[in-house]
Amino acid sequence: MSELLAVGRYEFRMQARKRSLWLTMLILATVIALFQGPAGPRYLPADATAPEVMAGWALLFGIVLPLGFGMVLADRLVRDRRLGTAALLESLPVRPGLLLAGKYLGGLAATALPVLLLMVVAGGYEAVHRADPLMLGWAVLAFAVVMLPGLAFVAGFALTCPLAISAPLFRVFFVGYWFWGNMLTPDLMPTLTGTLLTPIGDYPASWLSGGLALFAGTPGWLSFLRPEPGAGSALLSIALLVLFGLLPLLVANTVLSRRRHAA
Amino acid sequence: MAQYSWPVPLRRAGSRQLWRYEARRAGWAAGVAPPAALLGAVAMALLAGNGGAGRRQIGNLLLAGPEALLPLAVAMTAVTMVARDGCRELQLALPTRYAHTLGRRLGVLALAAALAALVYSAGLGLSGWWTGPDPLASPLVWAPPTIWLAAVAVLLAVLSRSVVLATSGIAGLWLCEQILADALVGHDWTRPLFLFTTSRVGTGEGWLTNRLVLTLTGLLLAGAVALLLRRPHLLLSEEEE
Repeated sequence: MSELLAVGRYEFRMQARKRSLWLTMLILATVIALFQGPAGPRYLPADATAPEVMAGWALLFGIVLPLGFGMVLADRLVRDRRLGTAALLESLPVRPGLLLAGKYLGGLAATALPVLLLMVVAGGYEAVHRADPLMLGWAVLAFAVVMLPGLAFVAGFALTCPLAISAPLFRVFFVGYWFWGNMLTPDLMPTLTGTLLTPIGDYPASWLSGGLALFAGTPGWLSFLRPEPGAGSALLSIALLVLFGLLPLLVANTVLSRRRHAA
Repeated sequence: MAQYSWPVPLRRAGSRQLWRYEARRAGWAAGVAPPAALLGAVAMALLAGNGGAGRRQIGNLLLAGPEALLPLAVAMTAVTMVARDGCRELQLALPTRYAHTLGRRLGVLALAAALAALVYSAGLGLSGWWTGPDPLASPLVWAPPTIWLAAVAVLLAVLSRSVVLATSGIAGLWLCEQILADALVGHDWTRPLFLFTTSRVGTGEGWLTNRLVLTLTGLLLAGAVALLLRRPHLLLSEEEE
């Protein structure tokens, strides 16, 4: 456990010092906040509840921030291999699986940190704007249930997929997937939008806001993944996103172990 | 400090060798990304067809391949090609201008994209699934948005010296154009800069203006990149893959 924490802490400190991470998140959040349009959380009526407002902000940031999140993590393991540090790290008295898990947890925590801070800033703005200090607490909660599971899901794929298809190709497919699997309406074509496996956080946001956030539960492809939005389906969505985010790590660890044994 | 060059006599064979070398430096992603993006469009069209989508809807999805997915693939790959160069310091010490070296490398990507798009358009035309403009005007479906998005991508990469910033910027821009399509088409001043006019609006009034504006502004941005690359040492200190 202490080894996992050590690797995670090292990865966190390394990633959190990356200037491009902070700049990217700041620029993307500023642009989407400024151009959110009349349907955005800033324009919700004055009597809107705190969970509704902050779920709206989490969903708004969730449209673009995971893109930057995926771009940052896409080069993490590839770079280790290119610079030759992967072999050096494998020679350490730490199990490779533990090393990968530490990188995942540390990378996820560091890359999600700017997202959390941006949610706190949005919560602070709403606390002043709507004279409700509880907005700050709901901002943190909305980050934890709406955004974090989706980020954990993205992190698993962003860390491992570039090992197989290269970072540039992953970035192209990731952007295409993000649009197809989160924002494309289910009546247009078969899509994962509106299912429990939507990393934008449609189900948890619908649960917090008490209404339909985007397309959660809208009839469409894979109907068994489209239950009615509510507390139970939101928790199921969170659990599924976290579990599915771990799958690529398990596959990558198995493949890399076999390669090491074969070498 | 600007980089100066003097003419280096290169025989035709030497020039060909230089292009071959740059093709290898561009990496396999330069050759694979454009056709992979177009295959992605075919996969989406097949998925939509299985889901019961109509012919027009499938045709628009197939058209979105060269107009939306191809520019994204080219722009993302171009960023990596500009930002990742393990021996940039050595390149700067050579008499050949770095802008020319980079231009050849990006030229390889442009060639791969153009070939893939032409084969794709011809394939759709022969199979009866082409729903775009006249076949002779088919390059106007993919060339203007590709030039524009790739120029923005390279400009961002040169200015920021960061793959993460440039690719995130392009991803955000592409996504915003998709989700704010109605708003962008609805305003006179944003309509000429909307990237996906053919597949989202059609080839009616204003289509040709849109294509010309995209091409011209894309070339202007490319010119800005060429100017910035007169000081290629500004590109040093890249950190990401």
